[in-house]
Amino acid sequence: MVSDFFHPNVGGVENHTYMLSISLIRRGHKVIVITHSHPPDRVGIRWILPSLKIYYIPFPTIASSATLPNYFTFLPYLRTILLREHICLIHAHASLSSLGQEAILHAHLMGVRTVFTDHSLFGFADAASILTNKLVAAALKNVDAVICVSHTGRENTVLRGQLFEKSEYDPSALSVRQNVYVIPNALVADQFKPATEPLPLDTINIVVLSRLAYRKGIDLLVAVAPRICAAFPNVNFIVGGDGPKLIDLLQMRERHLLQDRIELLGPVRHSDVRDVLVRGSIFLNTSLTESFGIAILEAACAGLYVVATRVGGVPEILPEDMISLANPDEDDVFFALTRAIEIVAMGKHSPMEAHERVKNFYNWNDIAERTEKVYESVFATEQIDLWSRMQRTMELGPFAGPIYTIILVVDCLFFVFLEWWLPRDDLDFVMQQWDLSITGVR
Amino acid sequence: MLPEDSEWEKVLWRKQEYPDNYIPQRLFLTSLRKNVNFSPYTYWPLVLLSCAITQHLATIFLFLAVFVRLKERLLDARILLYISMAIFLAGYMLWELLDYHYPEHGVSRIGRSKTFKYSLLLFLTLMGLSPVLKTLTAATSSDSIWALSACLFTVNALLADYSSSKPAPSRGRLTSVISMNAAISSSVVLASRLSDDLDVFVLILFSVQLFALFPILRHRLQVTPSILQAVLTFVLSASCIILTAPLSTTATWIYTAALIIVTFLAPGVLVWAQKYKNEIRGPWDVAVPRMS
Repeated sequence: MVSDFFHPNVGGVENHTYMLSISLIRRGHKVIVITHSHPPDRVGIRWILPSLKIYYIPFPTIASSATLPNYFTFLPYLRTILLREHICLIHAHASLSSLGQEAILHAHLMGVRTVFTDHSLFGFADAASILTNKLVAAALKNVDAVICVSHTGRENTVLRGQLFEKSEYDPSALSVRQNVYVIPNALVADQFKPATEPLPLDTINIVVLSRLAYRKGIDLLVAVAPRICAAFPNVNFIVGGDGPKLIDLLQMRERHLLQDRIELLGPVRHSDVRDVLVRGSIFLNTSLTESFGIAILEAACAGLYVVATRVGGVPEILPEDMISLANPDEDDVFFALTRAIEIVAMGKHSPMEAHERVKNFYNWNDIAERTEKVYESVFATEQIDLWSRMQRTMELGPFAGPIYTIILVVDCLFFVFLEWWLPRDDLDFVMQQWDLSITGVR
Repeated sequence: MLPEDSEWEKVLWRKQEYPDNYIPQRLFLTSLRKNVNFSPYTYWPLVLLSCAITQHLATIFLFLAVFVRLKERLLDARILLYISMAIFLAGYMLWELLDYHYPEHGVSRIGRSKTFKYSLLLFLTLMGLSPVLKTLTAATSSDSIWALSACLFTVNALLADYSSSKPAPSRGRLTSVISMNAAISSSVVLASRLSDDLDVFVLILFSVQLFALFPILRHRLQVTPSILQAVLTFVLSASCIILTAPLSTTATWIYTAALIIVTFLAPGVLVWAQKYKNEIRGPWDVAVPRMS
């Protein structure tokens, strides 16, 4: 597993990478994680339970825990690690991870196969997206398989990464490559058990757990919360999270004198999320963009009825009787919440039943098994030769094509130099693994 | 054997009898929208809109021609002063006419007496500062001045406000303020190369008219009939070419080419390039929240 986003940072990609790694270890695979270091002393090799080995490469970050794309400086580290650890497949995570993209570039030099998982949605219009999409397209030209966490995510990634090839039936037409998979996120359902005691129906709590930023639709929350409080005297809000929009929530609460109705918890640790969720009956997610929405899943698993905006991959994750979808429109969110309040007040939503259903829908063992099948399909295909890689890379366009092809060729020359400078025979190969019987992983 | 395509659903929670890489052709990218807010341009309206840019470039070329004539003593400063005053009066009368025929709502009016007072104040200030401005760049080589002037005029042309709608009356756009400052600064450094106080005074007065007052008038003129815009563009373009022709054939050709390209060729290129416009929208875009 290679990604810029990993423990000790907390987030969706970080958790996904960790849980997938653990699940694959449980299925008998050897898994290591390669990520960047964290000042002051999280550098070098670390082990985390149950038996996951992590290489923290000494690269500084530039923004949001992502390292600067540098292409060549990562190769000596990656080559040594892959050869020492006898790695035969690299699984890179997240579009904005430079380490992941570079690992895909370097992997073919050592005959290592590559898989990439995209966790995010990106537009096509703004400058940041245009640049990111070109970097992603370059990486995905030569990747063996791509995994997306939602069907909407797949559509987005296919367009961004230009994952098309000539159709078998009609050579003049283009069809989507057959190596693009949809495997959703998952969760540990036991960590999100509903409250043992049923909540009183006379007071309904609406829970919001989110980073308080524009993209999370906090403006909608600010607009809707006072209207709900006015329409339903027995409804309160519990808002957890921190961010630039916190000031807007505080102002709204003060303006409408709702200090006793809207509770602002501030930052909530992931370990405390379940305890906050079970205080409520309805979970509100007003995101303006969401590839998967793991928070929605966690809330549904904890037995809450979900109200969410109809954006990105959100409509795909839960059946209609567990979620009310609204357009990102103040009135629509208000009506969706009104419906949800009626459903909960009439006792039509069973928290335990919701928990059991989510437990069956999304579990890590199933996700690991499906990911395993992707790996198997990758190994069943021929590896792309250097000439084909160069041809594919040239398809990036009149400017990016030659630039990336030069990077590819220089990368090969640098690898040849490293083979001479640091011969494989001189490497200290890893022979012993963690004794799995000690940690009881199996 | 896979079941029928119609049985596949775009959901993640249901275990379906399809492999994870299955792509239903009938449903894939159905939510994709291309060029949602696209309204195709037509050639002549674009030519008309480009007139603002042509006028601005023509004023720069006109100013440069006047500067060279003053420097080479081909133009008497007094004549330019009378021309400037005549242009100012004509411009002010035109402004009053526009105010009468096309009144602007919500724009605070400055009385005629105040306008006269401000004009007189500017006139006297420039007259008083002329000896100072004349020696401003005495220690600087001419090459540096030409380079600086070229850069400042480029900044002026790039940041000028060419929009057909005027910004809020209380505050002009920052870019257009920078643009005007760049042009006036350029005029000042060029004027400092002239040998006579009167030449310096008249050139800066002329530059204030061209780069500070004319853009405001140009904005107001954009609500008038198209023919007036076209006539003004033609008059300015012709003036700058006629004034430049005796000075330099090369410069004349460059100016003519620049004006023709901006007015006629660039709009054509834009109309042609529209067929390559491919703005992609879909459910992955950040939604715009709608408030009541």
